[in-house]
Amino acid sequence: MSSRIYLGELEELILLMVALLNKEAYGVTVAEELKAQANRELSISAIHAVLHRLEEKGFVKSKMGGASTERGGRRKRLFSITAHGRNALEELRDTRDLIWTLIAKTAAS
Amino acid sequence: MNHSLKPPAWVDSLIDSLSPPDLSEEIRGDLYEVFVKDILNKNIQHARRRYVLNGVGFLFKSFFWKKPSYHPKPTPMLTTHFKMARRSLSTQKGNTVINVLGLVAGIAATLVILAVVRFELSFDTSHTGADRIYRLVRVSGDDMSEFRTGISYPVPVAMKEEIPGLSNMAAMEYFGGANVDVIDPSGTALRKFREESGAVLVDAAFFKLFDFGKGGLTWLAGNPDKALAEPLSIVLTKSYAKKYFGDENPIGQTLRLQKRYDAKVTGVVEDFPNNTDFPFSILLSYSSLTNLNPGAWNEWTGVNDGHSVYIRLPEGMTQADMEKQIARVHAAHTSKELSSSRHYLLQALGDVHFDARFGTFSGRTISRETILALELVALFLLLTGSINYINLATAQSVLRSKEIGLRKVMGSNRKNLVIQFLIETFLVVFVAGVIALGLSEALIIALQPILNLRLTHYNFTDPAVILLLLAIIAVVTLVSGFYPAWTISRFHPIDALRNTFTTERLGGFSLRKVLVVFQFTITQVLVVGTFIVVSQMQFFQNVDMGFNRDAVISVRVPDRSVTGIKVLADRLRALSSVARVSFSYTLPSGVNRSHSYQDIGKPEAKEMKDYVVFEFGSIDSAYVGLYQLKLLAGRNLIAADSSRNILINQQLVNSLNLGTPEEALGQPLKWNGQIMTVVGVVNNYFMNSLKEGYDNIAMRTEPGSYSTVSIKLQTREGKSLMAAVKDIEKIWKENYPEHVFSYQFFDDNIRAFYAQENKYAQLFQLFALLFLLIGCLGLYGLITFVVNRKGKEVAIRKVLGANVSQILVMFSREYVQLVAISFALAVPVAYYVVDSWLSNFAQHIPLSWWRFVLPGVLVLVIALVIVSTKSARTANANPVDKLKYE
Repeated sequence: MSSRIYLGELEELILLMVALLNKEAYGVTVAEELKAQANRELSISAIHAVLHRLEEKGFVKSKMGGASTERGGRRKRLFSITAHGRNALEELRDTRDLIWTLIAKTAAS
Repeated sequence: MNHSLKPPAWVDSLIDSLSPPDLSEEIRGDLYEVFVKDILNKNIQHARRRYVLNGVGFLFKSFFWKKPSYHPKPTPMLTTHFKMARRSLSTQKGNTVINVLGLVAGIAATLVILAVVRFELSFDTSHTGADRIYRLVRVSGDDMSEFRTGISYPVPVAMKEEIPGLSNMAAMEYFGGANVDVIDPSGTALRKFREESGAVLVDAAFFKLFDFGKGGLTWLAGNPDKALAEPLSIVLTKSYAKKYFGDENPIGQTLRLQKRYDAKVTGVVEDFPNNTDFPFSILLSYSSLTNLNPGAWNEWTGVNDGHSVYIRLPEGMTQADMEKQIARVHAAHTSKELSSSRHYLLQALGDVHFDARFGTFSGRTISRETILALELVALFLLLTGSINYINLATAQSVLRSKEIGLRKVMGSNRKNLVIQFLIETFLVVFVAGVIALGLSEALIIALQPILNLRLTHYNFTDPAVILLLLAIIAVVTLVSGFYPAWTISRFHPIDALRNTFTTERLGGFSLRKVLVVFQFTITQVLVVGTFIVVSQMQFFQNVDMGFNRDAVISVRVPDRSVTGIKVLADRLRALSSVARVSFSYTLPSGVNRSHSYQDIGKPEAKEMKDYVVFEFGSIDSAYVGLYQLKLLAGRNLIAADSSRNILINQQLVNSLNLGTPEEALGQPLKWNGQIMTVVGVVNNYFMNSLKEGYDNIAMRTEPGSYSTVSIKLQTREGKSLMAAVKDIEKIWKENYPEHVFSYQFFDDNIRAFYAQENKYAQLFQLFALLFLLIGCLGLYGLITFVVNRKGKEVAIRKVLGANVSQILVMFSREYVQLVAISFALAVPVAYYVVDSWLSNFAQHIPLSWWRFVLPGVLVLVIALVIVSTKSARTANANPVDKLKYE
């Protein structure tokens, strides 16, 4: 595992959601997806905090989206995963896979 | 949407006001989306609850408080501002120096003035319960016009016995000028001192009433309750104990007072603070009064003005109640005549220092009007410094229009520009403030003789001083910086870059005129006022007071016996440096002399109202000659005259309706129950200052009462007055080895009448000079700017045939107009102020027109000189140099 990547469990989870939502990720959708996919219920503010942190670390990038009436005319900030973020996720997954294969081997033997 | 379906508005406004602006939109958007979904899924209450919870939840997240890093926005750039300010200040060095100088003068003067005001306001405010302490004062005369502090000796005694509830009262007698000798056990004097600051008679009650706020003055030795109980006990302050006894233990030592009374030292107290009207250093027990003045306790009529009484008002009693009680006690003991013409009233301790009618032991009072005047001067000094800044900054703004334009084009907004200019102002004011703080220390020391401040140094560590300075800096920064910053930042960037401004088109120009007029109006008021005050002082010094005051010294005679006086007179007259010698009870005038008022009337006088009050003097036959009093009728007193023959002055002749001086001769007059005969009438002369009118005077010979000798010195070439005084001192030492030779020049004594006025005059000269200096600095800065800007115009005018004088007139005309307008505005104000000041004096200079015009012309000339010297260079310049680059 690369030493440059520091991703907490929640950060990783939310980064996954951003990747999953594919340019439609913002506070509310991420919250809904978390509930749907991982059965995790988080407050909006907590999600915002993590998203900001991820952006600071360069795993996601954001731009302001269009306004919509369901938000009372307010724009949303849409997050999308960066290449760096995707690399990080892949690296994490590879590490885990590698470890799991080792676990499977030891368990089998 | 239905109103009830809206999310709680306070959460929205909370987020709006707290969050970084670019976050609030998305946060509120998300919150709203959740809110709408909650309403659809559950109900409105649930949705609202969640809205609040989620919304408030943001406040606990650190990112919410972080400075946003995406969307770079203009940062305050404080350090850049400072850098820019420093650069622009150093490119305009001349202006910066003028601004700093003007502000330094203003701020330093303000700091000094406020230190003085604070000092004066702090007098005797520290005593516990000071607001219930009152001084008993004596107001007498039919029209209640005589204000004195002296209380007859038995009054406090009777008050204590007969007024229920009055327990806290202190009577004290202060006498200035004490001879103090340190006596060894055998009775010989070891060291002799003359204490002009005098001594006071007090008892333990004084320290009960006045505790100086720290639980009382610290007693370094002796028992506070008993030390001042016994007659002829003495308590010294620490520094006086050291002065008399060095490192010896002072307790139990003996001091001889006035060469007569041996008193035992029973205690030592800490030195009294500077800011008290009880500047005591030698405290004699009050019970010593029995020894010093045996008849005192039954003397209801006679009064000594050094005898003061202070009380603490008992709880539940008002000032009026107490005054009624005192009047009752006074009436019970004295004749109806006395109690109806003399009133003992109460004066709050807080007013003692500010009421010049009564005076204080410290010899200083300052009226609240004076304090207000000082504060106004300070305010105006600051203002006039600020005006310089405003004028120069707005004038210079044209030069900076390119900078402003470029800044605006590069995205600087108005707020930023205002901040930048304010920081520039702040730098100037701050530097001025720091220099002024240093200067104020030097000023306080230098002005010590004028201010009589008794502050030896400026208290830098006093947080109030630092706070004050910071407040001054902040206020001056805003006052002087805001207007220039506002106008400069208003420039339209395109106009600014194309440099289409001229000075005249700036809105600031007319304001600048107004400010210059304002500045010079204040300056002219002060200059005119000072000129008149100084003239009045000159008048005091030089006016004929009715006697000759040149080269006369006076000394108190230790031995009043007829033989003693004869010996001294003969020895003095034998000196070649002495022209005349005269012995008398008191001097004809001056501050340091004894007063004795008595009543005189026609022989048929019966009641009080038939008598008039006069000042009594006993003189010898040389007196009239020495002081060159003029005999209007009759003859001088001679040694052979009995004490029934009197010499009176013109004023007394008039007061008693004796007709002409000739008709008054030989008239009998009743004085002290005896019939006197007028043998001569002298001209009126001022026994008191010119602030008062002529007094009634009657004099007679009374050998044995002569306590003062006046010596007219022989003024000859090659011999100074001081040499003559030295000769006299030698005689004195031989004649009175016991006594210190302490003399005073008579004209100094008279000058002392106007010590206070003289101080004000000096102070106002200083202020006028300061105003003039700051005003001229500003004028210099303005004209420098205008002259530099108009270089080309002048060159073209010259090419077209204008000569130098026309160009000078062109530059000067406007400023002469401004100064003239301000003169017109200043005259009525100055007239009003000066007129009310002069009305304090019975004798004063007439307010003629030239006394206003002369200083006005002076200011005008100074302004003209500044403007024309500065513009002369431009006017004389070769036009080619200015035009060849076009």
